[in-house]
Amino acid sequence: MVRYTSPINPAVFPHLTLLLLGIGIFFTAWFFVYEVTSTKLSRDLFKELVLSLVAALFSGFGILFLLLWVGIYV
Amino acid sequence: MAKLKYSFLFLLYVLIKCESTNVDTISSDIRLKNVDRTVDISSQLVKIALKVTLENTGRSPVKNFLVAVEKSAKENLAFVGTKDYNNKDLRLVETSVKGYDYVKLYRVELKEPVNGGGTGIFTVDYVYTKALIPYPNAISQQEDQLVKYTGNIYVYSPYYIASQKSTVVLNTKTIEAFTKLKPFTQQDSNIVYGPYTNVGPFSEKELNVHFKNNSPFLTVTHVERLIEVSHWGNIAVEEVIEIEHTGAKLKGPFSRYDYQQDHHSGPASVRSYKTLLPASASDVYYRDANGNISTSNMKVKKDSVELDLRPRYPLFGGWRTHYTLGYNVPSYEYLYHSGNEYLLKMRVVDHIFDDMQVDELVTKIILPEGSINIKTNLPYPASMLPISQHYTYLDTKGRPVISFTKRNLVENHIQDFQLRYTFPRLLMLQEPLLVVGFLYALFLCVIIYVRLDFSIHKPEHQHKD
Repeated sequence: MVRYTSPINPAVFPHLTLLLLGIGIFFTAWFFVYEVTSTKLSRDLFKELVLSLVAALFSGFGILFLLLWVGIYV
Repeated sequence: MAKLKYSFLFLLYVLIKCESTNVDTISSDIRLKNVDRTVDISSQLVKIALKVTLENTGRSPVKNFLVAVEKSAKENLAFVGTKDYNNKDLRLVETSVKGYDYVKLYRVELKEPVNGGGTGIFTVDYVYTKALIPYPNAISQQEDQLVKYTGNIYVYSPYYIASQKSTVVLNTKTIEAFTKLKPFTQQDSNIVYGPYTNVGPFSEKELNVHFKNNSPFLTVTHVERLIEVSHWGNIAVEEVIEIEHTGAKLKGPFSRYDYQQDHHSGPASVRSYKTLLPASASDVYYRDANGNISTSNMKVKKDSVELDLRPRYPLFGGWRTHYTLGYNVPSYEYLYHSGNEYLLKMRVVDHIFDDMQVDELVTKIILPEGSINIKTNLPYPASMLPISQHYTYLDTKGRPVISFTKRNLVENHIQDFQLRYTFPRLLMLQEPLLVVGFLYALFLCVIIYVRLDFSIHKPEHQHKD
């Protein structure tokens, strides 16, 4: 048995949060801008799904590290 | 073949059963050559330490011996422990002897037997709680606290004792009265009884000491210790503590003016006390129902974090307080693993103040969601409570909570428990994926929403584009 350490060093939680949430917010913004500017005909379902998936992935992990950073150890 | 197997199992069961009923006999070969006893009643606890020189007058080697507790002190006993001359802990098993059912007896299992004609030196430690009775039981703010101790002048033992001496440590010169059984001497703050020679087994003679004792008489009536393990590298500890001053009750009014002006006012009251936390503790908080209690200090020392806690008001006899103390420790200090098998090693109860006495302890350990095969190993018997569920951030089916409770604890009970469990590492991804799933569902709602048409009239030019 060896001492257990977190798979991710708690010291990098803030950096990870800022990086992941930054990318996440960027894609979220892109997604919403795309949703409101596209019309019925110019809309591409595949592009919407990919954009939202990337936005959700980055924001999701970003929010998790934000929780860990502020001391909510989930 | 199966029959043979079952009969063997039955035999094993009978053997174990015999072992657990624990009926012993008092060996006539054992004689205590010399016993040095220290009765420390300078704090709120009664700490008795025996240094025993045991002699085996028989021929066969002695593998174990018995230590006894008086019937009158049975209820107050919190801890008993034995060590050999190498200062190594010896195993104690509760037992009984026919004809002496009223006595509480423990069998000490020796690591090296004492051969015929040989001697062995052992130390036995007893700690009693609530054995010092405030007398008078109510005092005013300015008065000193006087307490009464009732014990046994002789060392209580199932064996014949050739020579014995007892030192009563008081830490004060103000002694109202004490039992005088010759030979005795009173030096400074100690009373020495003995040496008494050739005392028979189970001898009892009442020892009374009535003296001044202003040490803090604080009882932790209830403490709930919550340990929350997170595999993201943190263990959060939170203790909800209820404390009562169980010394002489305060008689008459309490004057805050007198108390602030004269530092010697209220000698029996408790202004503050020190709590020691593990050296790696961080993010410490100390609060109650009103919020943060600002009158506290934290000192980071080499091997511990020292908290100087000052309750919102001084504690006089009969007064109580209630607060929450919490901190974080990194997981590598207490959590071990190999693959998916984890081992948590932490203290059952931690230091609250020096010479503490705890009436009731409930320790709860919250493991990460999805932990299975949980096995608990406690350093001393405690009653296990059923496994319950705890729901917090990003949980679905709840985290398993292992809890156990024990009554009457002292500092000697600050020992490690071991908890083994299995946790598939991939389950750590469950939490971020929950957030991702939630966000993705939101985005999907938006995608569907923009495709819906809620207008109540048809567009004027249907195929304008």
